[in-house]
Amino acid sequence: MKFVDEFRSEAMAQRLAAQIARVAGQRSYQIMEVCGGHTHTIYKHGLEYHLPDNVTLVHGPGCPVCVIPTGRLDDAIAIAEQHNVILTSFGDMMRVPGSRGSLLDAKARGADIRVVYSPLDALNLARRNPARHIVFFAIGFETTAPSTVMTLLRARTEGLRNFSVFCNHVTIIPAIKAILDSPDLRLDGFVGPGHVSTVIGCRPYEFVARAYHKPIVVAGFEPLDILQAIYMILKQIAEGRAEVENQYTRAVTREGNPRARQVLNEVMEPRASFEWRGLGSIAHSALKLRDSFAAYDAEQQFSLPGIRVADPKACQCGEVLKGVLKPWECKVFGTACTPETPIGSCMVSSEGACAAYYNYGRFTKEQLRSSARPSS
Amino acid sequence: MEVLADNLARIERGGRTEIVSIALVDASVGDRLLVHAGEASARVERSEHSA
Repeated sequence: MKFVDEFRSEAMAQRLAAQIARVAGQRSYQIMEVCGGHTHTIYKHGLEYHLPDNVTLVHGPGCPVCVIPTGRLDDAIAIAEQHNVILTSFGDMMRVPGSRGSLLDAKARGADIRVVYSPLDALNLARRNPARHIVFFAIGFETTAPSTVMTLLRARTEGLRNFSVFCNHVTIIPAIKAILDSPDLRLDGFVGPGHVSTVIGCRPYEFVARAYHKPIVVAGFEPLDILQAIYMILKQIAEGRAEVENQYTRAVTREGNPRARQVLNEVMEPRASFEWRGLGSIAHSALKLRDSFAAYDAEQQFSLPGIRVADPKACQCGEVLKGVLKPWECKVFGTACTPETPIGSCMVSSEGACAAYYNYGRFTKEQLRSSARPSS
Repeated sequence: MEVLADNLARIERGGRTEIVSIALVDASVGDRLLVHAGEASARVERSEHSA
């Protein structure tokens, strides 16, 4: 057993584990944590050890690096290889394999690609390098879209002409709906995203309770937050309820951040559809820049290959992202696909289930239970 | 936290200082903020679970 010292209150963890076991009873439950950050915490702190055998966690597609399809990454590389361009990106994207290698490989071949921690860093680069065109490779859910939008507003206010955004922001609600509509999964409840909810609030999740009759509890990122959220889900089920609850009240309100949503709406609009790794094409699931910001839209400023590229045959990221496969069930997990030699995105991103499991949780109770299974 | 011009602030994170945007929150000195990609999206109360 792995009671990790990061637990701030051991007694509280034990109490929650006992409460969970009591309310879970005998039937089996499958609970999905949507957010990659939650997956990371779950593996890092061995949270599954604190759950009874009949409660299983299913990992969802809330990893924005993981869900970007290969074709879009190839487009980013095509932009980077244009004359005079500096492509800026979060570090997590640098090692995701594209059709002709990763951003890091393209950089090694001579493209000017730089890691930034925020789009403001990219804006500063544009201010300091008027002779170059700086493109920001924007990724993330509603959590990071506000920062991209604020940066675009700043760029426009300053009249910058050498800055644009390659927008790959995705939205969480259509992905949750796609999961609920998937015939491959039977889920009993959801641990709802934490940071996305600071922007969108709790109301958008009401369809999960009302239309699909599943509990959804927005959770924080401490291990105890997640355990408490799981307890709240099971308690709802035991009491015959299906509601949206908020465990993360210290950061999330029911209304979210209306100012952030207002600027998002001012600068961006939903795409008709967007291709997600693993989930296929989902309607209204991603954002693009409005026409009024065309001068700052890399998709309008550059001509992109725009080719739909299938994952390599060995790669099973799609199934891991849908929650159908656990990381260790992927045929290449830990052998051909490792953090040093990734085949797919789930092994690269800090929020990817495979990377989290590889780095932290390689001996979970499931593997211990089925120790007759050949090791991966 | 030190409030700067243009809706920016100098904050402390993990013992280091950073410049972030506080355009989308009502923040004052002493507040704890949730920041993603350099943009604060919410104020955070202290967790009963953490130190």
